[in-house]
Amino acid sequence: MSSQVPSDLLYAKSHEWARLENGVATIGITDHAQHELTDIVFVELPAKGRHVKSGEACAVVESVKTASDIYSPVPGEVIETNPAVIQDPSLVNSAPYASGWFFKVRLASSEPPAELLTPQAYATQIGA
Amino acid sequence: MAKVIAEMLVESIKLELPDVKTVRLQWPEGYDPGEFKTGQFITVYWPHKPKYKRAYSLSSSGLDRGAYEVTVKRDGKMGTSIVDWVEAGDKLFVIPPTGRFLPVFDPPGKHLICVAGGSGVTPFRGFVREATRRNLDTRITVLYSVRTTQDIIFFDEFTALEKENPRFKFHVTCTRLAPDHPWAGRRGRVTPEWVKSFIDDPAQTVFYACGTNEMVESVEHLVLHDLHLTKEQMKTEKWG
Repeated sequence: MSSQVPSDLLYAKSHEWARLENGVATIGITDHAQHELTDIVFVELPAKGRHVKSGEACAVVESVKTASDIYSPVPGEVIETNPAVIQDPSLVNSAPYASGWFFKVRLASSEPPAELLTPQAYATQIGA
Repeated sequence: MAKVIAEMLVESIKLELPDVKTVRLQWPEGYDPGEFKTGQFITVYWPHKPKYKRAYSLSSSGLDRGAYEVTVKRDGKMGTSIVDWVEAGDKLFVIPPTGRFLPVFDPPGKHLICVAGGSGVTPFRGFVREATRRNLDTRITVLYSVRTTQDIIFFDEFTALEKENPRFKFHVTCTRLAPDHPWAGRRGRVTPEWVKSFIDDPAQTVFYACGTNEMVESVEHLVLHDLHLTKEQMKTEKWG
């Protein structure tokens, strides 16, 4: 099955996506990641106000078969979390790039980290 | 026949390792799971948390009736609650076995090479139990990757089964042992060369891989791309 890789996002090798708008990154996990995890049954998000580093484990997602850490793809301050995925973790499966987002980070710098992947590079990584 | 979700009593618990327990779930009276097979998984949930479900491979075999056994690592909310808190007499809801990670015992004469990482070894206990109990001519080789000698699940049972069943072999590789540790066995990750060294007749070999995505994908690559074997000869169970 081929996974969706939207062209307007940046990606981490560890399968998170980031949508950058006005110095704020909205973070979630990719379609490929949710597909590999299978049915998601639990999401734990970072506290608002937490300062995260790029690559820092700051959320947890559990599916029927495994538990995984989620890493922030960008550094900065967590300014908002998505209560909908706490209430209904299956949103991560059904809409990973829309209502299944995890949290928002106000970027520590105006430039996103250089190690983030372009859609093309991420598609290559996952063989999409 | 419709699959019936049943509330099951935890009949007994066996501590396999400090962070791994085998839980025996007793079938309620009149319970009939229909046909199920060695290598399948059940899905469990607590009565008070019906939305939070976790799937575990059966570590018992399809021949074991009257109870299911799953061997659970302390991981995530379910794994933590089971390893830390569950006791005989507790109850869990169980969705009956399903899955296609099945040992090929028919036709006879196959060699099953089973590559496992960590708690990915649990379904292979069922494979070996069934082959041994039925005295099958199927050969089973388990290649088991663990961090240290303290992390080997089923060491005593697999060692005993090796003595009972001359067609079963069990090999461990340790990835994170201190250099001065007295372990005389293999060290390092599962490599294609190591797996290849156990193949004698590729056409009669079926590969299984259960563990992290990275490990499973490397075995898949070896079998499908390097050895050019068929998809039917590669069965995988990824857990993240």
